[in-house]
Amino acid sequence: MTEQAIEPAATRLSPEEFADRARAIEREVGRVIVGQHALVRQTLIVMLANGHALLEGVPGLGKTLLVRTMAEVLDCAFNRIQFTPDLMPADIVGTNILIEEEGGRQFRFQPGPIFANLVLADEINRATPKTQSALLEAMQEQQVSVARQRYKLDPPFFVLATQNPLEMEGTYPLPEAQLDRFLFKLWVPFPAEEDLIAIMDRTTGAETATVEHVASGADLVAMQRLARSVPIAPHVTAYAVSLLSATHPDNERAPGLVREYVRYGGSPRGAQALVLAGKIGALMDGRYNVAIDDVREVALPALRHRVIRNFEGEAEGITPDAIIRSVLDAVPPPRVD
Amino acid sequence: MTLDPTLSQIRDGLRPFRRRLWLRRVVRDGTFSLAAVMGLELALALAARIVPLEWGRVAAAAIPLLGALALLVDAVRVRPTLGETALALDGEQGLRDRVSSALEIALRSPDLVEAPLAAEDAPTAEGTATEDAATYARFVRLQRRDALSTLRAADRRAFRPRLQRRPAAVTVVLALLLVPALLLPNPQSDVLARRENQRAAAERQAEKLEKAAERLAEGRTAPDPRLDLSAELKKLARELRERPEDLDAQLARLGSLEDALRARIDPANEQRAAALSSLARSVSRLSSGQDSNPGGDPKKANEDLARLGEKIDGMTKAEREALAADLAGLESTARQAGAEAQAALRNASQALGRGDAAGAKDALGRLGDALARGARNVELNRDLARTANDLQDARRQLADAGKPANQGQGQGQGQGQGQGQGQGQGQGQGQGQGQGQGQGQGQGQGQGQGQGQGSLGGGGSNARFLGSGSSSGGFRGPTAGNKQFSTGDIDKVLADFGRLGKPGDPSYVAGTGGDGQTRQGSGTGQGTPSDAFVPYTGVFQDFYDFAITSLERSTVPLGVKDYVRDYFSSLNP
Repeated sequence: MTEQAIEPAATRLSPEEFADRARAIEREVGRVIVGQHALVRQTLIVMLANGHALLEGVPGLGKTLLVRTMAEVLDCAFNRIQFTPDLMPADIVGTNILIEEEGGRQFRFQPGPIFANLVLADEINRATPKTQSALLEAMQEQQVSVARQRYKLDPPFFVLATQNPLEMEGTYPLPEAQLDRFLFKLWVPFPAEEDLIAIMDRTTGAETATVEHVASGADLVAMQRLARSVPIAPHVTAYAVSLLSATHPDNERAPGLVREYVRYGGSPRGAQALVLAGKIGALMDGRYNVAIDDVREVALPALRHRVIRNFEGEAEGITPDAIIRSVLDAVPPPRVD
Repeated sequence: MTLDPTLSQIRDGLRPFRRRLWLRRVVRDGTFSLAAVMGLELALALAARIVPLEWGRVAAAAIPLLGALALLVDAVRVRPTLGETALALDGEQGLRDRVSSALEIALRSPDLVEAPLAAEDAPTAEGTATEDAATYARFVRLQRRDALSTLRAADRRAFRPRLQRRPAAVTVVLALLLVPALLLPNPQSDVLARRENQRAAAERQAEKLEKAAERLAEGRTAPDPRLDLSAELKKLARELRERPEDLDAQLARLGSLEDALRARIDPANEQRAAALSSLARSVSRLSSGQDSNPGGDPKKANEDLARLGEKIDGMTKAEREALAADLAGLESTARQAGAEAQAALRNASQALGRGDAAGAKDALGRLGDALARGARNVELNRDLARTANDLQDARRQLADAGKPANQGQGQGQGQGQGQGQGQGQGQGQGQGQGQGQGQGQGQGQGQGQGQGQGSLGGGGSNARFLGSGSSSGGFRGPTAGNKQFSTGDIDKVLADFGRLGKPGDPSYVAGTGGDGQTRQGSGTGQGTPSDAFVPYTGVFQDFYDFAITSLERSTVPLGVKDYVRDYFSSLNP
């Protein structure tokens, strides 16, 4: 088995440069995406954390546009995969094809659309579990294996998957193991009226908004590396762990909603997501330390897909967000009087 | 090791905030302490109204002291660390964990606590572990600078001491409740005062009993019964001191000993003493021919009898017969003085009549001895009687100390006004003019008097108040209300009515009420001449006997007894 290594081109950034570039990316994306500031910011956090995001929202809210715009702003290779029930794993990761070369026939690997910096897995829940699982290795290991050959994916590598919560007929809900691979699950809200007016103005006029490249993939890698270097105080880490522990129904700090309607709480990846996203949030705010508020701000997208409700919870319509909010209430920031 | 100056400045900058945070904590806990003290004081005050708490005042004074002590200990305990101060400052000033992170990371990374080298902030090679460590160190320095600048910009008035609303409100409410609980009269105070009086009375009576015991034992040798009595009194005094609160038991012990003493006392002791004095005075007069022994001293009488015996040999027959007659004339007195004295006197008289001088001398000697022994017995009986009186007085004082302060007065007034029942008794006097006179007897230890004329009437009372009144012409109650008890000059003679107890007291004897009827006598008749004037010598013995009997029966101070006895002795013909 051979390994194809792709070395990242990293540059050294200062925290100030990090904040400036993050702001520039947000500003540039905002030229196309009207409103949705939190969504843009959280998507950027996912990318700076070298993670993947699952965007959930009804059709027409700009999920695909957001991902496409991100790719354009970051000057990254972008591929879109429209997931359908007949989509096969090879359609995603690629396959070996037989070609004639230099008088002989041999197999050559034909990379699939997964080989890009930014992959949009559109309506991921419409593919079969077999096909969905083809993403697992790529998301976790940032590599794919085809015919006992491993192929490294170029950094940065992001999977931004979308799913439609309304048309559930004929869909295959993502298994918990795969959900856990997503750093954030982002809920794409319906725009406010003033945002809708701005959207109408931009999309029905003669002019089309264009964006510029404000960062490269190498910049992203450098920003990812810098974000991981941010020191975090033990009490903030402990708070993140407390939040995660409180999502487990057998934990003593778990609120009533968790005890009653949660089957399993978040995995340790949830705490990792809280800490890492907290670091990035602090840097984006121009701070050098992670505050407890940074952790609390990312608790909903980082934990909502990691809390598995029981039958009663689903039957009663208890949303994961309600559960996470109750956890945030039950685990207040440490207070010293 | 040189501490990173930035870190050092952060620590220095936190110290004023730490003091302010400490003060806030002390104020907060002080409020809680105050509320707790108020609550305990209120609970104590309420409990003291339900049950008599003798340690109540001590506890009331100790609670604030304990509260202050607890606050002092708590103040030491709640002194914040710099880390706590940083966390609190971040929370209160919204510093987003800048200061606390800088301190905690310094603790977590001891290698970054020292002052940085000048080149440490310089760029390093990219993509290496060294670069990552340098980036981390650079972040730490940046955090510290950020924390320091944030700390310098923080409001210096942070951690303003503030009262906790709930405990403060509780404290105010408790204080408002405590005021009436302390100021309103406490019914248990009387109980406590009574107990205190009881203890004081027990101490006083114990001292008296000890003095009585010393007096009894002074100069006595075994087998004098007064020595045993002295030991018993000391034991009683000790028990009084050890268990003053056990009033009933103490009264029972005192009463038991008093009863035992009274059983040993010769009821005719004073009569015998008077007779001995009279006999001694008489025999001294026979010996000396004059009133040489006005006090009736037995020793003097013994000496006089000895001299009289020496004179017998030189007497004529007529003188001996006269002496025998004189001695025979003293026999009635000698009978009261005792059988031994009477027999000796009779023997002396008979021996003189027979002309037996030796026998007369011997009989006179035995008479002297009898007088001396009688005097000693009289002294013993008086000691016993005095001790019995002391015990009775101790019982009275203890019983008074155990009584509520105003119970006797209230009871006396109530019964004195409401239970006036008379009993009429008709008696003819003088020239046949009849006059009705009613006399009522109240209930209990009270005394009542009333006068009625021609109708039912009279009044009665008990306890400390005398009820008196008069009525005529119909059935009415006493027209004169009960009066404040006053014995005037008789106070020195009569026992205090306060010694009379109430139902339940050991000394209480229930009286019986009158039957409420009055009989009026009226008639005319011829009066009979009366012996208005008789020689006092003819009735002296009757009055003397009555007085002595009364002295023995009633509780009369010893000084008064002596006074009465001396009075009759001086009148003895």
